[in-house]
Amino acid sequence: MEVGEYLNMASQLLPLELIDKCVGSRIWIIMKNDKEFSGTLLGFDDYVNMVLEDVTEFDYTGAQVKLPKILLNGNNVCMLIPGGEGPAGSS
Amino acid sequence: MENGASSEGKDPSTFLGEIIGAPVTVKLNSGVVYKGELQSVDGYMNIALEKSQEYVSGQLTRSYGDAFIRGNNVLYIAAV
Repeated sequence: MEVGEYLNMASQLLPLELIDKCVGSRIWIIMKNDKEFSGTLLGFDDYVNMVLEDVTEFDYTGAQVKLPKILLNGNNVCMLIPGGEGPAGSS
Repeated sequence: MENGASSEGKDPSTFLGEIIGAPVTVKLNSGVVYKGELQSVDGYMNIALEKSQEYVSGQLTRSYGDAFIRGNNVLYIAAV
């Protein structure tokens, strides 16, 4: 069995497949710098650029900005938390 | 590859197609915000804006009739 085949067995869920399962639901995004976003995931591409709806942007001061619909650049994305509602929900 | 593109028809490129010509807010990684009419955008997120206004820490600092923004600086593009 080849390595690639082994990694794609039914029990394995590829990282991007996990994100695909999140399409249509709320997601919490933590960026490389001290920025975070939460919103409803409408779609994404192979770079993990994401289209998000009903977005809240959290900066390092704790200030929040509401945005109806955005395309978020995947370049500075660090982590995605399915079902997350931003920093307030977790603390 | 199977991803969000196929299931909802709301992947990044279709979203961009929808908002061409619309008023948008573009935020850069530096925190500077540009508001204007989205003339065009490409796969690098290079952006051409019309009637653009530059906001530094929330304050309107400059206005440009036409502006090109290099894609590597873009944090997000928001439809307003």
